[in-house]
Amino acid sequence: MTARDEIFAALPRAASANPHADAAALLARVPALRPARVGPDPVASFLARLTGPVIAATAERLATRAEIPAAVRSYLAANQLAPRLALQPSAALQTLDWSGIAALPTIAVDEPVSVCEADYAVAETASLVFRSGPHMPTLFAFLPLHHIVVLEAAKILPWLEDAAALEATRPAPRNLNFVTGASGTTDIEGTLVRGAHGPAHLHVLLIGGQIAALAPQPANVP
Amino acid sequence: MTAAFTARASAALTDPTLKTAIERTTGNARAKRAAAVAAWPGFEAARDLGRDIKDHVTQNLAFYLATFERNAIASGAHVHWARTADEACEIVVRLCREAGAHSVTRAKSMLGEEIGLPHALEAAGITRVETDLAEHIVQLAGDRPSHIVWPALHKTREQVREMFARLHHEPGGLDTVEAMVASARRELRQKFMQADVGISGANFLIADTGAVCTVTNEGNAELTTTPPRLHIVTAGIEKLVPSTAHAMSLLRLLVRSATGAELTQYTTFHCGPKRANDPDGPSEFHIVLVDNGRTRMLTQGLEDMLRCLRCGACLNHCVVYRQIGGHAYGGTYPGPMGAVLTPVLDGLKTAQDLPRACTLNGLCAEVCPVKIPLPTLIKGWRDKSWRLGLEPRAATLALRLWRLAAQHPPLYRLGTRLALPLLRRFARTGWARTLPLAGGWTAARDFPAPARKTFLDQLKERRK
Repeated sequence: MTARDEIFAALPRAASANPHADAAALLARVPALRPARVGPDPVASFLARLTGPVIAATAERLATRAEIPAAVRSYLAANQLAPRLALQPSAALQTLDWSGIAALPTIAVDEPVSVCEADYAVAETASLVFRSGPHMPTLFAFLPLHHIVVLEAAKILPWLEDAAALEATRPAPRNLNFVTGASGTTDIEGTLVRGAHGPAHLHVLLIGGQIAALAPQPANVP
Repeated sequence: MTAAFTARASAALTDPTLKTAIERTTGNARAKRAAAVAAWPGFEAARDLGRDIKDHVTQNLAFYLATFERNAIASGAHVHWARTADEACEIVVRLCREAGAHSVTRAKSMLGEEIGLPHALEAAGITRVETDLAEHIVQLAGDRPSHIVWPALHKTREQVREMFARLHHEPGGLDTVEAMVASARRELRQKFMQADVGISGANFLIADTGAVCTVTNEGNAELTTTPPRLHIVTAGIEKLVPSTAHAMSLLRLLVRSATGAELTQYTTFHCGPKRANDPDGPSEFHIVLVDNGRTRMLTQGLEDMLRCLRCGACLNHCVVYRQIGGHAYGGTYPGPMGAVLTPVLDGLKTAQDLPRACTLNGLCAEVCPVKIPLPTLIKGWRDKSWRLGLEPRAATLALRLWRLAAQHPPLYRLGTRLALPLLRRFARTGWARTLPLAGGWTAARDFPAPARKTFLDQLKERRK
């Protein structure tokens, strides 16, 4: 017998006549017990959590996509970074006016800055979601020290289950990355240090939505 | 207790810095977990759901394994099966050799530790680079992990500084923990990119997509699995969940129970090799599904243990673990979950002390995110140990004497009447500082003086 055959032979007969129905019934219990982390406005919940004390990322709101390069320029200047970055090879970002910045379509091992667009985000956990593909190399989200992420406010989903439901309708990418804050470690004496292997700084440019009405709220408001 | 365990536990108890180091990390973890749980009124109901999801998978394991295999192959992955630890290591080493691999990066995986993969790779002459910061520290020290979430919690910052200064290529100033982390980042940067194979574990195997979910806070899993030509996953067959949505429910429990966060910084679903036009990713994706005692657990009354998410909450809350740390347990898994799993993996004879090194205070079961009845399972091993005659002679003799007395009330009363005045002689001040046959107790604390008369005698007097 092969190892596979032997393992299957050692397993009991399936208990469920219809495992799919039983698995679905388990999920029906989720909405009633989820932590109250999403208020009536998921964008406000997302921003409050993202910039709150735990995740401690930074964010700014922009009315239109055309404002992205200027916002990136000010971020580089404010952090005393050279005008050079790895720009995710997506048409939506590459076609913006990056004059004055060396925007490269590839990423070096020690690249200080990269700019990527998140596919969508999840308000419950303030997670940014990246799907690998021809226009999204996975390493763009992991190699730089400063990760600047563009996100359309309209693409913020309330719950983790909403992300799972959306993914169930699409072909799976090689990597589906939920990024929740900058890289960190507590491996030496429990002391939190940012920038373990991945980015040390995460900055979100949130595009659109009702900017005046949706200023960041205190962290304790869901 | 066997001599080996006693020696390890004694060494741990006399280590001048170990207890402080353990308390620093586990105390922090306990406080953060407590806050996360307090902020979630549905936590109890969520634990029930977590238990039920895992039980549903265990009860339908053949169905979900077959579904996972089918979908993983459809995604372009190669699926391998291993009955034992040795078989699993052989598969990984063979894949590395076939790929002509010189250097392998590894993202921390408890299953990898369980099957002895670090040793197998080294024995095969393959350079192994541990990328999780704690595992990197443990590797440099030639040490073993002492916690399943914080493998290097037994190392102080002074010890880490000394090691990095000696072994890193560009240590720079190592005055702060930040500088030490930066030095490790520099040290591992090129190694991530130069590795031929990246090996990870799995926190969940998603049956309906064939994807493998990993969680890290450092980002080392993705840097381990993206640049090399091969990505190899080693995973226990109990890691299955029906769908991505089910994984989300378990992630809420896992992360809060482990670190008190709501989600790890990097939660990734790896599905198959690099697609045709992908700019990065491995061209081959291999998944090694490992039994190593798990199907046996189903027949040993240990199926509840297959729910374990490896969050480490039971370690952080265990009064024994907090005293002796992880190394004293002698196996891959320490603490309460280790007391249940190590006898499965190493045999009860070898691991007989672990179920005994437990106070049965029940705290582990109270904090377990999937409600594993750990004290019951630990008692199950004690019961088996008694029946196999593995219990120490002194304990066996004492219990037989007690049984004899308990079954013969006059004998019991005579025994207590004789013992009381004797005990009181050693406790003239109200507390006994030394007691015959109880030096282990009185070495660290006094024993209270008993009442003047036995309970039954007092009862009789009052009824007069």
